[in-house]
Amino acid sequence: MNLTETPAYFGTALMTTRAKLVLIALAAGLLVATTLGIGQAVAHHAFAAEFDGKAPVMLRGKVTKVEWINPHAWVHLSAVGTNGKAQAWMVEGGTPNTLLRAGIDRNSLKPGTEIVVRGYQSKDRACTPICKANGRDVTFPDGRRLFLGSSGTGAPKDGADPTDK
Amino acid sequence: MIREFLVWLQRDLGKGAGDSAQSWSEALLGSLNFWSLLEGTHLLSLMLFAGTIFIVDLRLLGITFQRTPVSVVCDRILPLTVAGFLLVVLTGLALFYAKPLFYYHNVWFRVKLIFLAAAILNVFFFHSRVRRNGEAWDIDTKPPRKVRAAAAASLASWLVVIVMGRFLAYDWFECGKPIPYWANVAQDCRASEGGAIDLVAINSLPGHQP
Repeated sequence: MNLTETPAYFGTALMTTRAKLVLIALAAGLLVATTLGIGQAVAHHAFAAEFDGKAPVMLRGKVTKVEWINPHAWVHLSAVGTNGKAQAWMVEGGTPNTLLRAGIDRNSLKPGTEIVVRGYQSKDRACTPICKANGRDVTFPDGRRLFLGSSGTGAPKDGADPTDK
Repeated sequence: MIREFLVWLQRDLGKGAGDSAQSWSEALLGSLNFWSLLEGTHLLSLMLFAGTIFIVDLRLLGITFQRTPVSVVCDRILPLTVAGFLLVVLTGLALFYAKPLFYYHNVWFRVKLIFLAAAILNVFFFHSRVRRNGEAWDIDTKPPRKVRAAAAASLASWLVVIVMGRFLAYDWFECGKPIPYWANVAQDCRASEGGAIDLVAINSLPGHQP
C-alpha cells in the first residue's frame, strides 16, 4: 500500500468521536485566545492588564530621566501634586520607534524639561517603589502636544491617539 | 555568581568611554528597529516550531493523520521543527541579552526555563528511548501508551513554556513592588535593584489602606 497517497483528512469517517472532540476543544481554545488577543496586536501588552482606564492622571513636572528602551520607553518625572508635594512618577510610552515617528526623540525629553503628561495610573496604585502610569500624550513648554503611547493597546479612546477612529 | 556575570553582560560588555556610552546590551534594548525585529522573528519562528511539533505530538497521541505512518509524519515535519527551534533559540538568546537582569529576577522566566528544560529532556527521552522500537507501532492508529505519554508531556510542557513567555510582558510580580513573599523568594528580589517588599508586611502597616 502506498501510504503517501492515502492521506487522512480531518473530518473523515476514520476520526474517532474522541479525536473530534479534542480537535473541537483545541479550535475553541484557539478562538478564545485569538479573541482575547485582539486589541493587543500592536502593543506589547494589553492596557487593561496593568492600567486603569477609570483613573486618569494629569502630571505636571520636570523630567528626571528617560529610559529609551524597548518595548516601552519610560519617562520619569517629578510631578507636583495638589498638596504641593513632589512625587516621583514613571510614565510608559510607546517603543522608541513609535515615539520617534510621533515626533519625540531622546533629546526632546532631556532631564529638567517641564512637561505635562496625561495618562492613566496603574491598577495597583501602589506607588511603590514609584507611581506608574500609562502615558497618553505629552505637552511641551512651547505648547506642542504629542501622542506618547502606542495604538491599539485597548486604552480608552480619549482623543490622545491621532489614529483613533 | 550568575547574577554578577549578568550584571557585567548588561552594563559593561562593549561599553565605550564617555558618560553617555552604552554597553552593547543597552544599545540593543534601545535600538529603533533591531529589538522589534528580534521579537517579531522570535514569535514567528515560535509559530513554526510549536505549530509543527504539535502536529507530530497530535499524531503520536492518535488524534490526527491517523493513517499516515509516524515515520512519515516525523520525517516530513521534524526538519521544519528543528529549523524553527534554532531560530527561536537564537532570537531568544539575543532578547535575553538585551535585559539579562530583568529576566533573571522574573518569576515567569524562571518557570519558563524549568519547563523548557523539561521539554528538551523529553525530546531526548523520546528519540533515545521511546522511538527505538518505532517500527513496531509506526502504522498504529493509536501508538502505545508510553508513546502517547511522551507526546502529551511534550504538548503540555511546550504550552507552559509559551504561556510563561507571554506573561513576561506583564509586571504584576516585578521586584520592588509589594508582592507576595513567595514571589520575592522565587525571583531572588533581595538581590535585585528594586529590592524585596512583602505585600503582607505593607498591608499590615498601621494606617495603611490597601
